[in-house]
Amino acid sequence: MICDMPRRNPGRERPQRRKELFHADAFRCVGCRLDVPMLAPGTAHRNHCPNCLTSLHVDHRIPGDRRAECRGRMTALSVSVRGDGEWLIIHSCQSCGGLSANRIAGDDNALALLRIAMRPLSDTRLPVSALLAL
Amino acid sequence: MSTDGKPRSLANTETFPCVRCGLTVAAVAPDGARRNHCPSCLHSLHLRDECRSRMLPISIAVLRTGEWMVIHRCTRCGELTSNPICGDDNQLILMRMAVRPLAQPPFPLEAFGDL
Repeated sequence: MICDMPRRNPGRERPQRRKELFHADAFRCVGCRLDVPMLAPGTAHRNHCPNCLTSLHVDHRIPGDRRAECRGRMTALSVSVRGDGEWLIIHSCQSCGGLSANRIAGDDNALALLRIAMRPLSDTRLPVSALLAL
Repeated sequence: MSTDGKPRSLANTETFPCVRCGLTVAAVAPDGARRNHCPSCLHSLHLRDECRSRMLPISIAVLRTGEWMVIHRCTRCGELTSNPICGDDNQLILMRMAVRPLAQPPFPLEAFGDL
């Protein structure tokens, strides 16, 4: 039945229903395809995969506003530290180049976080010589 | 004469005062690139959308090409920008930003000693 029937194209009589994707209790990571529960320890908004730290460009300014129309993949670019000592991941959108800062969650992959934090220091270029000179 | 038709001496004397430390900075770096942050304190000015507020350096990112970028955040509107570092940027501040996450880890780093 399914394979025999030609696909009916109703000529856009009615636009597709907008799916309530983000009210689900889980999402699938665009980077590693892990099924991630929305419930995260230490944060109300989970906005990146705890395994590979990849995010999706859905929020515009305010976390959770879902006003960005880009929906590109955002990869972790660097780690920043807030005044209170909390780590932030700087995500950069692969599609539009936008940046956003997101707090880490309690179950984020510590090894992945540390690899990003170590990136400037494992570089063999000039600035490391400044550290050794101290 | 430089390529844009101006005498080289005129084209290279443009300066701007740093919004934080007040240093008078040449707008063109020695390597010919145009500056967007102070080489001494790495602070910048948010020029987009008439915001014109101070931008703080918050992080260092290393691109796949190995190039270092400074991530700035605007103190007024919170927008993030990334800019390549200059050859004469303050290495002490660059290094301080690079090691800051490791100085305040959210998890014990001892577990990674074996790796």
